[in-house]
Formats: sequence, C-alpha cells, structure tokens
Amino acid sequence: MARSQESALREKLWLWLQLSPVLLILAVLFGGALVLAVVQSLGFAPWFGVNTFPSFQYFGALWGSASFWESLWLTLYYATVSTVIALAMGIALALALVRTFPGKQLYKYIYKLPLMIPYTVGIALAVIMLGNGGMVSRLAAFFGFISDPSQFPQILKTHAGWGIIAVYVWKQVPFITLAIYAVMLGVGRETEEAAAILGANRWQILSQVTLPQIMPGVVSSTLICFAFNVGAFEAPFILGGGFPDTLPVVAWRYFNDADYTLQLQGMATVVSIALVAGIILFTYLAIYRRFERKIGRN
Amino acid sequence: MRKIALGVSIVAMLATGVAQAQDPAATEFRKGFLAGSLDWSAVAERAKSEGTVNLYYWGGSDPLNVWMDSIVAPAMAELGVTLNPVRITGTKDAVDLVLAELGSGKMVGEGSVDAIWLNGENFSTLKKQDALFGAFAPLLPNAKNIEWDETDPRSLLNLRDFGVLTGGAEVPWSGEQYVCAVNADRVSAEDVPHSFDGLQTYLEANPGKFIYVKPPHYIGNTFVQEAVYAHNPDGTGAAPFQQSLDELGAAELARLIAPGLEYLKNIEPLLLGGDSGTPRYPEDSNALDGLFLNGEVNFNCKFGLYAVATGLSQGTYPEAAQEFVFPEGNMIKNKNYLAIPANAPNPGAALVLADYMSTVEAQISKLEFTGMPAGIDPWLLSDEDAAALAAASPGHTGLQAADLDANIAPDTNATLVDVIEATWLEYIERDSTDSIETIVTRAAENLNQ
Repeated sequence: MARSQESALREKLWLWLQLSPVLLILAVLFGGALVLAVVQSLGFAPWFGVNTFPSFQYFGALWGSASFWESLWLTLYYATVSTVIALAMGIALALALVRTFPGKQLYKYIYKLPLMIPYTVGIALAVIMLGNGGMVSRLAAFFGFISDPSQFPQILKTHAGWGIIAVYVWKQVPFITLAIYAVMLGVGRETEEAAAILGANRWQILSQVTLPQIMPGVVSSTLICFAFNVGAFEAPFILGGGFPDTLPVVAWRYFNDADYTLQLQGMATVVSIALVAGIILFTYLAIYRRFERKIGRN
Repeated sequence: MRKIALGVSIVAMLATGVAQAQDPAATEFRKGFLAGSLDWSAVAERAKSEGTVNLYYWGGSDPLNVWMDSIVAPAMAELGVTLNPVRITGTKDAVDLVLAELGSGKMVGEGSVDAIWLNGENFSTLKKQDALFGAFAPLLPNAKNIEWDETDPRSLLNLRDFGVLTGGAEVPWSGEQYVCAVNADRVSAEDVPHSFDGLQTYLEANPGKFIYVKPPHYIGNTFVQEAVYAHNPDGTGAAPFQQSLDELGAAELARLIAPGLEYLKNIEPLLLGGDSGTPRYPEDSNALDGLFLNGEVNFNCKFGLYAVATGLSQGTYPEAAQEFVFPEGNMIKNKNYLAIPANAPNPGAALVLADYMSTVEAQISKLEFTGMPAGIDPWLLSDEDAAALAAASPGHTGLQAADLDANIAPDTNATLVDVIEATWLEYIERDSTDSIETIVTRAAENLNQ
C-alpha cells in the first residue's frame, strides 16, 4: 500500500518535472508579459514619467470612443467570416479526401502547400494579384477593358476586407482540413457504412453521423484560427481599408505614436483584444462541452 | 509551483543585479572626451579595444543597406571596428530601446545602441529624456567639414533640428528637401500645378490622381506642414512655426493651422479613392512609389532631392517622371543626423563611426550609391573635394538645383509637429466635429502631460 503510494508520488513528481520547462516559459514569458500589459493599461509606466496606478482612464478613453467599437466590430467581422468560410471549405475538402479518386496522393500534398508558406508571402501574393496595380488589373488594362489600372474595381484596401478574408481562408483551409481529416481517419468509415445499410440517406449520414464525429476536430481547429484572426496584424495592416482599423492595428498605431503616453492606451487596446477573444473562446468551449454532454460523450 | 516561483525570483535578482552595475571606465571616457581633455588617438585606441559599433538605422532602402555593407563596413574594419548594422523598420524602435535600457539603469558602456540615424521628433524625445551622449559633434576631427559658425545663416540646419537646438549632440549626416515628382506622360506641362490652389483646380478636372502619405508618417506630416505654411492666414509662411509650442500657445497655433487643415479636408473627396468616402492614404513612401509607378496617381511627393534620378535608375519610377516646383516658396528642406545615446555600449567606436561618416569620401560614396544628399557643407571643402561632391550627385530631371534652392522653407518646430499630426488624425482621419481650436488645445494638453 505504502509502496504504491510512494510510486504514485514519484510518478507525479516525474510528471511535473517533465512539464516544468514548458510551464516555466509560459509563466515567465507569457504570464509576465500579460501582467505587465495589464498594469501598464492601468496607468503604471514610471519610465515615461506616468504613474497613476490603478486608474481606468485609459480604458475609459478607449471604450468611450465610437471608433473603438467600429474597430472591434471590424476585427470580429473579418475573423468570423473568414473562419466560417474556411470551415465550410475545409469540411468539404476533408470529406472528399476520405474517398478514393485518381490523383489523390498528389492532391494530398498540394492542398498542404499554403501551410508551408508564411502569411506575409500570402499577403504579398494578394497584393501582386488583386491590387489595383496587380496582375489582374494590369492585364485588364493591357487588353483594353479599362484605360488604366487604377480604374480596376477595388478588392484590397476596402473595409469590406475581401483581401484580408482571402488571405486568411487561403492559409487556414488546409489547417482545418488537416485537423478534420485526421479525426475522420481515426474514426473510420464503419459507422457511416452501418448507417447507409440501415437506410439513412446521404444528408442524414452527414448530419447525424459524420458531423458529430468530426466535431472535436472542427472545434479545435476553428478555435485556433479564430483566435489567430482576432489578434493578427499584418493582413489588416497591409490589405485593410485604413481608419477605422482592426484592433491590433489600432494598438500598433498607438505604440508607434511619438506621444509616449499613448503607449498606455495601446496597452489598454491589447488587453481589450485579449479580454474579447478570451470571453468569446470560453463561451464557444462551454457551448461545445454542453453539446458533448448532450450527445453523451465525455 | 514553488519551483517556478524560485526560478522567477532568480531571474529577477539577476536582472536587478545587472542593472545596478556601472562601467566606470566608460563614464570616465565620456567625461574626458566631452571636456576636450582626450586627443583623438586615445579615442581611436579605445574604439579598437571595443571592437564593434552597433548602428541602428531605418533599413527600408536597399541602396543604403548595400552601401553600409560594401563601403562602410570595410572602412570601419580598417579602423579596427566591426560595423554591426541593425536595420529597423522605424527609428522610434531604437529610441524606445534606448529609453527602456536607461529606465532599467543601464548607463554609458552598458546599453545596446551606439548610434542612431534620426532627426526631428526622435531627437527631440531623446533630448527631452536626457538620453544623449553629449556635445560630441564639434569635437570630431572631421567637424571641420560642417558649418558651426552661428553668424553664417547657412549654419541653421546644423544647429537646429526641426527647430530644436542640436547642441552638438548629433552630427549632420545627410540633407534632404521635400520635392514632388510628376508623371509627364499623363500630365501636360501647362497642367502641372505649382500651388495648392493649382492642385485643387487640377484635381477638380482629374479626380483621384493625387494622394499624400498618411500622417503620422513623417513624409505625410511634412506635406501637411507645407499646406499649413502656404495657407498661413497672416501670409508669413513658415516663420511663426519656428517657435516651440510653449512660445506660440495652443490658441495661436490653432488659428494659424486652421486654413491649411480646412483645405486638406476640402480636397479629400478629390484624392485617390476619395469618391468612395475614404481616401486610400498610403502608409509610407514605398506604397506611394507603387501607386505612382502604376499610374494610379500622377504625382509623388516625398523627401528626395534626387528621388527622380534614383527612382529612374532603379526602375521604381515611371519613365516620364520629372521634378517640379511645388508648392512655390514652401519646399521644406532639412538635414538628418547621427546621434549617440547616453548609454552607448561602445562610445569610442561610436565616435569613430560618426567621424568617418563626416569625411568627404564617405559622403561622396553615399551620394553615389543612394542619392542621399551630403550632410557636410560644400563651401567648407577644398575646391577639388567640392567638385568631386558635385560630380557625384545624380542630377535633376525637369528643373535646376537653383529652382529648388529658390523655394526653400525651414522645417516645423518638433514640439508643433506632434500637435499638427494629432490634429490631422482627429480632424481629417476621424472626421471629428469639434472645432480645430478644441482639438489643438486637447492635443497640446495630452502632449504636455
């Protein structure tokens, strides 16, 4: 009895020891940065000669301006639309990949290509292809559809954000596909075949059997994509429509202002992004847990 | 959990331990050099023993980077110093780093920035925060190439940076003038505007064919300042803007800049993308170069005395690009500088670098490689050197150097730049309905906190 307790204790110690490098990095780098951001947003920055800790004036100034809410709406709009489109395309692609068709091996490599290409390159591609001085517009001008490239309808740098959404979708479809495809391979096709034998039609198989089975992959991948999209900076900065910007760009503008006191407002913006993203992701997870319990998986 | 706490506390102890150390030798060196009691050979010796110099500068220009790596690095190696060029996306990053390190108690000999290429607000910030090495510039051997004599009006650009007294804490490195280029294929000679009214007339006939870089980028701020000068209600142009904010007062500043900002607000619908409600202001001059090259706009205004020659040789400008005089009498001219921060880790090497950059040969090769005008003053050079410098310049297209010199205006005082910038952002970008006076007063209060 004592021995088993002792070995359990040792087991536990060993586990903590293995976890400690990761925990240390998380606690010091991530936790430290988070704590610093929060205290700065509450007015603690003696190195700029500002110390009004704790005061909510920076949050007050930020949340009191109409442009903050416009920026928040834009941030969530781009993130949600691109995640939903990428999810729809990802599910379709994963469903296709579990079937057999000619050239499948090649296709399995090709669809992963965007995963290996950095976002910045994707953004550059969008500028080169879709910009008003881009390939498409120059070709249109060359063939005489328009008299000069600037007359090409604007796709990038508008608040509709098609450029931003295009880059996110292009980059995230393979990621979501990969997650769902992996779950599908793990589950196997037997349940679907059983349902088919029992007389379920295709739509019933998809909605009653396949979708609930791939739910874990759907939730985990969309969670990661959405969190990234809310906090991403480069795409909205380069492809966005200018003021009002998304929140990460707003924060960057505050940080880059010659007026140092605005950096605290920038910190308040960063903390706001974290708060909004955190609340949304926790709610999303809570709903998913309830769904899991409802269908009896735990 | 306890283990983590222990690790954190050890890291914290190490950090504070480092911060409390001082480098007495470097402090002594700084004191001695600034007092003039060290001769240059001692500086050169110390530079050799330090062995490296960390130069922080905006790395957005390829020709400049090539020049740094292929010319400056070998020249510094001959002096026994390895050049470590740190290319940053914005000069403010280096300023932030210096201030953060000073804040953590790192003094001379302990920081990480030896020299920064800067001017204007960034210099003003370092000066305000007392983060500069000291009055080193006139003590350099090659300071003889720079006009320090106050009685000569041409010395103004060496003694004042955006109206702020340089006090010898930075050495002139390059000069610039704000010049606009036009695509002559798309705009006939008689349509080229030379005043802001002319620009508006042109845009009414050709909407969307002009845009300027968005403030707070300094290229955009400068365009706004030129508009403000030209619309000065007293007709005194740049003169009142040489005073600091405290001397001028917010109410007076608001009165002086209101007509210029009204003008910029009125032409918004005529700018690129203005028909859709929000003009597509480019974020920086590279983005504007792209719009100009693609024929989306017909004009390109930026700091670039030789921008057309450089742009044509690199293919970043349309082939018909030409310089033109705009706005008449208000083409801002200034210099930019190398400054040494108070906590330079290698003060000796930083001085040697600053001295090398002030040599005639460095200035000539910089001009040849990058089209960046000289920071040294040609009238102080031997005839031979002055001729070589003149021969190195890429030359002008569409006008003469004399035309540019006839339309010079001085820069705006650095303390006003921030307020004018904040007013633009509030009044034009955010479409604030408050009066300009209210906005200026608020911005001035915020900046004076």
